[in-house]
Formats: sequence, structure tokens, C-alpha cells
Amino acid sequence: MTIHAGHAGAPRKALPPRPSVLRQMWTSRADYLYVLPAIVVMLIVIAYPVYYTIDLSFFKTPPGLQLKDKIFVGVENYTAILSSEVFWKVTLNTIIWTVASTLIAFVLGYAAALALHRDFAGRAVLRAILIIPWVISAVAASYIWKWMYHSDFGIIGQVLVQLGLTDRQPNFIDNVHTVLPSLIVVNIWREFPFAMIMIMAGLQTVPEQLLRAAKVDGASAWQRFWHVTFPHLSGVSTVTILLLAVANFNSFIVPWITTGGGPSNASHIWITHIYELAFGRQRWGVAAAYSVLLFIIVMSLGYFYVRALSGNEKKEEGP
Amino acid sequence: MAQVVLKDLVKTYGSIYAAKDVSLTVNDGEFVALVGPSGCGKTTTLNLVAGLIPITSGDITIGNRIVNDLDPKDRDIAMVFQNYALYPNKTVFQNLAFPLQMRKLPKSEIETKVKDAAKVLDITHLLERKPRELSGGQQQRVALGRALVRDPAVFLMDEPLSNLDAKLRVQMRSEIKRFHQDLNATIIYVTHDQLEAVTMADKMAVMNGGLLQQYDTPANVFANPVNMFVASFIGSPAMSLVPLQATTVDGRTSLTSSEGWVLPLSDANARKVAAASSHKIVLGARHSTIKLHKSAVDGAVPARVYTVEPTGDITFVQAFLAGAILNISLPPTAQVAPDEMVWLEFDQDRIHLFDGETEMALRAS
Amino acid sequence: MTSTSATEAPRSRRRIDGWRWGGRIFLVFMLLYTALPMVWMLLTSIKSGFAAMQFPPQWWPNEPTLASYQKLLDPQNSVGQDFLRFFWNSLSVSVVTTILAVAVAVPAAYAFSRFRFPGRKFLFFAVLLRNMFPAVIFLVPLFILMRWLGLVNTHGSLILTYLTFGLPLAIWLLKGFYDNIPYQLEQAARIDGATRFQAFLYIVMPLSVPGIIATAIYSFIGAWNEYIYAATFLTKNEQLTLPVGIQRFFSENTTDFPGLMAASFMMSVPVVVLFLLLQKYFVRALTEGAVKH
Repeated sequence: MTIHAGHAGAPRKALPPRPSVLRQMWTSRADYLYVLPAIVVMLIVIAYPVYYTIDLSFFKTPPGLQLKDKIFVGVENYTAILSSEVFWKVTLNTIIWTVASTLIAFVLGYAAALALHRDFAGRAVLRAILIIPWVISAVAASYIWKWMYHSDFGIIGQVLVQLGLTDRQPNFIDNVHTVLPSLIVVNIWREFPFAMIMIMAGLQTVPEQLLRAAKVDGASAWQRFWHVTFPHLSGVSTVTILLLAVANFNSFIVPWITTGGGPSNASHIWITHIYELAFGRQRWGVAAAYSVLLFIIVMSLGYFYVRALSGNEKKEEGP
Repeated sequence: MAQVVLKDLVKTYGSIYAAKDVSLTVNDGEFVALVGPSGCGKTTTLNLVAGLIPITSGDITIGNRIVNDLDPKDRDIAMVFQNYALYPNKTVFQNLAFPLQMRKLPKSEIETKVKDAAKVLDITHLLERKPRELSGGQQQRVALGRALVRDPAVFLMDEPLSNLDAKLRVQMRSEIKRFHQDLNATIIYVTHDQLEAVTMADKMAVMNGGLLQQYDTPANVFANPVNMFVASFIGSPAMSLVPLQATTVDGRTSLTSSEGWVLPLSDANARKVAAASSHKIVLGARHSTIKLHKSAVDGAVPARVYTVEPTGDITFVQAFLAGAILNISLPPTAQVAPDEMVWLEFDQDRIHLFDGETEMALRAS
Repeated sequence: MTSTSATEAPRSRRRIDGWRWGGRIFLVFMLLYTALPMVWMLLTSIKSGFAAMQFPPQWWPNEPTLASYQKLLDPQNSVGQDFLRFFWNSLSVSVVTTILAVAVAVPAAYAFSRFRFPGRKFLFFAVLLRNMFPAVIFLVPLFILMRWLGLVNTHGSLILTYLTFGLPLAIWLLKGFYDNIPYQLEQAARIDGATRFQAFLYIVMPLSVPGIIATAIYSFIGAWNEYIYAATFLTKNEQLTLPVGIQRFFSENTTDFPGLMAASFMMSVPVVVLFLLLQKYFVRALTEGAVKH
């Protein structure tokens, strides 16, 4: 089969020629002034680091050497990473961390938004309290929970002991089996309010008429939710889940402050691992190669992210 | 006040024509309605005159100036928008004062002009309110007021009544008409409601598909639509159009239908049909020119009643004829039932004949 | 008729009650989950170091004391000096970041919402994508870049960096806001004699104040809470911001839990107060910007 270039446009010969891109750019040159400041800042802080990281990932920086004395090693850093055991452990941790934090935070936030949708006395106060964990500093949050998880004086363990559920004060974050779930609890504590705010905002846009129509049609509360509210919130839900997933994938402070990735890498996720490789062990080249791999993952996630964020962009008639 | 001339106006979006070769002259003090279905190019044309979108080619003259490249603010125009476009954060007074402030008029003068305009439109008591505290009709008046304070050369109005309820719309229609008469203002008025155009305008420009179809007084457009589009768009209920075949036997021209009946034509109408490009002819008739008989009459054609809609003073009947639906108006005393067979008689002097191929009205050659 | 409705009514009411009670129980659980850590932070912060480390624990402090707060807020004492300096550093960095973020985001968001210039879509995606990149990726190159710009150990390095990670969402929020301001208002203003810029300044800007406030809160909270760049770019003690300063201080004083909790509390106060005061703008901005499309 032969496809002729420009075939589709051929029948519309009476149409005026499209102005060239350069001409369009020239005629709208003033518009660029508005975005210029944003672009300049972005370029400095994105384009250069991206270039630098890719470049560095092909070099080795043996300990004791300065960064400027790097040695070209080709793809050795990449092969080293992919064949290391730690890489796969950290990757598994990252997946568990990201998926569990995102889904549980989303479900809790969603449910809280629904429960808060109905008016009752004290609703505004309750809503404000539930949002606070999202606002306070992650460093503060990490210290609060680290103190509550403390192996000797942590209140959570003490409560368990007092209730007779365990004989000895459990050690939540110095235990390879419990550390990751314990940190996920902290992370969800910080993040469910975001999902809650987003869904609350979305709930305000559910058309009251539809809900009434469903009521007249005999739908139960659950059916009204499932057939009207839930589909109406699908757009905002997608955006929320993506934003949460990105934030979790990129999170650093909670694991870093509470455990520093330990014990024996049990709470290391990609970001903390890269940070430790670079700033702890001075293995800049390996860290850069890690970053490039991360890039690739993030970029493919980013494709869906951008589509979800701008997918409903209106095709308004421009000025 | 001034004259507005559009000459060969073209606006394209990529490869789509929003307005194509639109030429018309709005005389000083004239009220011209741009009318057509949505997407016909009427709002685009108005925005071109306003300068809100750049023209692709052609010329716009306001007064004696070509304004093609002027900013909206320099064209000496005022505009009333469909949603009124009142500034929600400003009071009515500030809304009215804004165009004058932009022209750097002294404060005392602004105050006088705003008060005068408010008095004309009877909104003096609303001056300290915010737009959201006003009813639809009041917002409409404020929007008119904001146009009025400027004393512009031309008023542009973009469907200003379409957001009002039916009763208020009729009332505002006459107010805008008074407004035009009192100020002797030049007004270009966009509407999709042909009734607004017919009742208010001195002239109407009927548009479709980016093209100007007909530009004439409402009476002329109503009496002599140039093509099937204009015929079916102007008038309510719409003109009925019946596709038929022309046949000439022994020098007598008739229209025949697929249902088998034959409608002989008068000599004048026969001459029109002779000018057609093919045998396909479309017969057009307005509801009030069709006579309905309960039994066969010479020259009448058989049809079946579809619906009967009494409105009080007129009863509208819809009937099937040769695959088309016809509107007929009857006195309220008429007794017709759905599915009844009736015979329709056309007034040869008042029927419209269209070329079935070109859709243009046929004129005697 | 009467008999059916009499039997129907109680059943349906019971069902609704089930939902409502489920919701209440769930909210109580969420309240405990959310509030207990904060309550425990406050209770610990008013204990003495000895009282905090007892077994079994003092649920309620036997002898509440504000000693930890006095220590942190006392400019005569070296701990207090440090803490107050960190606090001031955090405040100035956050305020400057916020002002600049708004100044840059407003025109950019407006342009993305209104103009159709070639590359507009691509630029918008680029702005959004920035949000996806983890901070760690940028640490080393940015550190080198900052050294080259002579900004290491200055707050300028932080402000510049915070701007870029705050801008994408700020622009996105504001763009949604501008999308919902009818373009007709600007057209009306331009016909009324305003230039495009005047229309923006007099008509659009006042209407977008809630969006701007939301953007400002977002930028402020982001800058106030940021840790990783501050930990990398700043080495001198007197430059540190609160999160880093507190972390450095308590990594040397590992058992002063009341002090740590008091510092955590005071670090949280400004952002919590700011957010609670202005939360309606934030929720509204999310509704306008993120949800209504």
C-alpha cells in the first residue's frame, strides 16, 4: 500500500496557507514575555542538571579523588547497579513503599472526604485537624513518630504492653520486618489529608440534580455513590493518585530522618539509596547512573501524569 | 455616530473559514441584526468589527477610518456581551465608570456621566450594588449603561437578551429598540433568534457557514428569501419546503410529487421554473398562505394531518405532504384531528420556488 | 399503601443510619490517628527529660514544665540563639521564595491560560514535568551550579531552587484559576479602553486573588518545610534553616526528647496557623484549578 504524503490535505485546495511556525512565533512574540521568567529559572535548574547527571553517569569517581579527577568507564556503572543485590532489594522496597502509601492514603482520604461531606456540628474543626499532618514539616513529623516508635520509651509499644498484647516493648524501626510498614504508617499520616482535600473539592462539583434524580429512581446511598459520585470523581481521583504516587516515589525525608535506610537496607528506597551513595559514600558516578535510571522511570510515569493533568484542557478559542 | 463598512472580510482559523468575504454597509443610525444559527460566523464578524480578533483579510471602516489594525480601545466602539461581562469585583457605579477612567476623564465628569446614564436606564438605585446582587434584567441594563456612558460611534451587541427569561426578553427587546430610537445610535446586533432580528432591526444580515446569505430589510428578507436556508430560517413556524419534480405537458408546467398528485403552476410561476437548472424544484409556502380543506377541491393536494397544536388565537397544524412536513395556521374554530386526510390549496402568488440543485430562489427569467 | 410505607420507612432509615454510624466511627478513628501523635508531641514537650523517659510512661505529665520552650526561646542561651536564628532564616527564605514564586507564576499561568503561542503546550508540559523529578537527582549538579554562581552557603541558592520546585504546581493551580475567569471580561475591558495589560491588571488580577493566596501558601509551606537542598547547600551553622538546624542539633543531643518535641511544635506553628487561616482559599483554588474541568 502506498501512502502519499500530504494526501489528506489535498482535497481542500481552496484553503489559505497556514502561516509558518516562525511567523506565528514572531506575531506572538509578546506572549513569550509572560512565560520567560518561569522558563529561564527552569532552564537553569533543570536543563543543566539533567545534562550533568547523564554525563557523570559514565564516569567513576574513586574514593579520595576529587570530582574533577573522574575516570571514564562507559556503562560500567549501569551494569554494576543492575547486577547488585541491593538494587533489587531497594527496588522492591520502593515499589512496596509507593504502592502501599499511595493506595492507603488515597482510600483513607477519599473515605474521610465522604464522611465529612455531610454537615454536622464540629465538621469544620474536625476537617482542620485532619489536614494538619499534611501541613507540618516532614522533619517534625518524622521526629514525632520516631519518638512514638522509640525502642524503650515509645508510646505505641507501651500501649501494646499495657494492653497485654505483647510482653516486651516491640522495636518497630530497628527490625527489618517491621520497619517498612512502620514508616508507611508515618507517610500515610502525612499524605491522606492531601487526598482528602482533593476529593472534598471534587465532591463540591458533583451535580446535586443527578443525586436527586438517582434518589427518585430508587437508588440506595451506596448505589448513588457508585453510579453518580464515584464516576464523577474519576478525573480528580486519577490526578490525586498520580500526584501521590509521584510524591511517594520521590519521598526522602521520612525514611532518611527516622532510619537513614536501615537496618540493613530494609527501609532504603531509591531516593535515600542514591543520596547515601552520593553523599555518604562519595560514589558520584554510580549515584548519577542510578539517577539516570530513575529519570527513565519517572519520565514514563510522567507521560501519564502530564496526560492526566492536562487531559481535560479545554480547546477554547484563543484570542 | 458613524457608518460602518465591511469589505470582503475574511477570518480563518487554520484551514477553517469562520467568515468568508463578508461585505456590508451599516449606515449611520441604523440598527442592523446579524442573524444565523450557531457557528454561522455572526459572532466572529462582530468580534472582527470590535477588534477582539485580528482579521485575516479585508477592510473594516468605522466613520471614515480604516480600523483594521487598531486596538479595540481605539475604535470608538462599545459592546454589550451575552453574559453581560460585568466586572464582578466592581460595583455598578465602578462598572459604569471603568470605560471613562480608562480614558482618563476627570472624576467630576465621570460622576456626572455615570449618573446621567444611570438615570436613562433607571438603575440609579443600584449604583452601589455588586453585579451578583442584581437580577438578570438589571445586569442587562447595567451592561447597556456601560456601553452608553462612552457615547461611542457604534454599539456592538452580542446576543444580549439570550440569558433572560421569555417575558423579560420581550420587555428588554422594546427597551433596546427605544434606546436605538432615542439615541439615533448605530447598532450591530448579533442574535440567533430570528424573531429578535425581525422585530428590532432596520436591516438584517442572514449568515450561514461563514457566508453572508442575504442583507436587506426584515420585510424584504421575509417576503423574498434568496435561498432555501434564508427561507427556512426566517419566520416562525418555519417556511415549509416540499421537494417536487417539474413537468411540462402541452406547454403547461406543473409540479408532480412522488405521491402521484400534480400541482399546476400559474404562468408567472411556470416562467420561474423554466429558469431552474434541473427538474428538481422545491416548493416553499408559509403557514398563513396555505388553505386547508376537509374534502377534495380543485387545485388542492392531499395530505395527512400529523399534529394539531392550538395556541389560543391560532391553531397550528402539521401535515405530511410528499415526505415533508408542512406547517399550516388555522383559526381556533377549525376542527381537525390527527391522521385525518385533508386537502391543501396553495396561493400561487405567495408560494416560493427554489432550484432543487442550487437551493437558490427562482426568479422569473 | 399505608401498610407498605409503614414497613418500608423504618427499614430505609436503618440503612441510612448504618452509613452514618460507619462514617462516624471512621471519623473517630481518623481523628485519633491524626491527633494522637500531635497530642503526644505536646505532652512530651512539657515534660522534663527525666519524666519523658519513665517506665511505665507518665501519660499525663505529673509536673508540667515549659523549660524546653524557655530554653529554645532564650536569646541568652546558645541553644536559644541557634533556634531563633534558624527560625529567622527559615522565615526570610520562605517569605522571599513566596514573593518571587507569585511574581513569576502569575504571568506564566496567565499566558498558559490565555495565549496560543507555538510551543505553549510543550512549555506547559515541561513546567509540569519538573514536578516529577526527585530532588536527589538535582543535588550534585545543582550544588556545582550554585558553587559556580557563588551561591553556596547563601540563602539565594535555596530560594532559586525552591522557586523551581514550587513553580510547576503553582502555575498549574493558577492556570486553572484563570481558565475560569471569563475571557469576555477582558474583551469588555479592552473595548472599554484598556490595553491588554491594563485589562489583566485591573480586571483579572483582582479576581484571581484567592488563587494567588493559595499559590502563596503552597510556596511558603513548601519552602518552610524543605530539608534536602538546605542540608546540601548550607554548611555554616548560622545559615541553617529550621529543619536542618533541628536535625543537626538533635543528632548530637539524642536524648532530649522534650526539647525535640518542643522544637518540632514551634517549627509547625507558623505553617499550621497560616494554613488554618487561609485554608478556604486553598480549597477553593483546588476546586477551581484542579477539579472543575
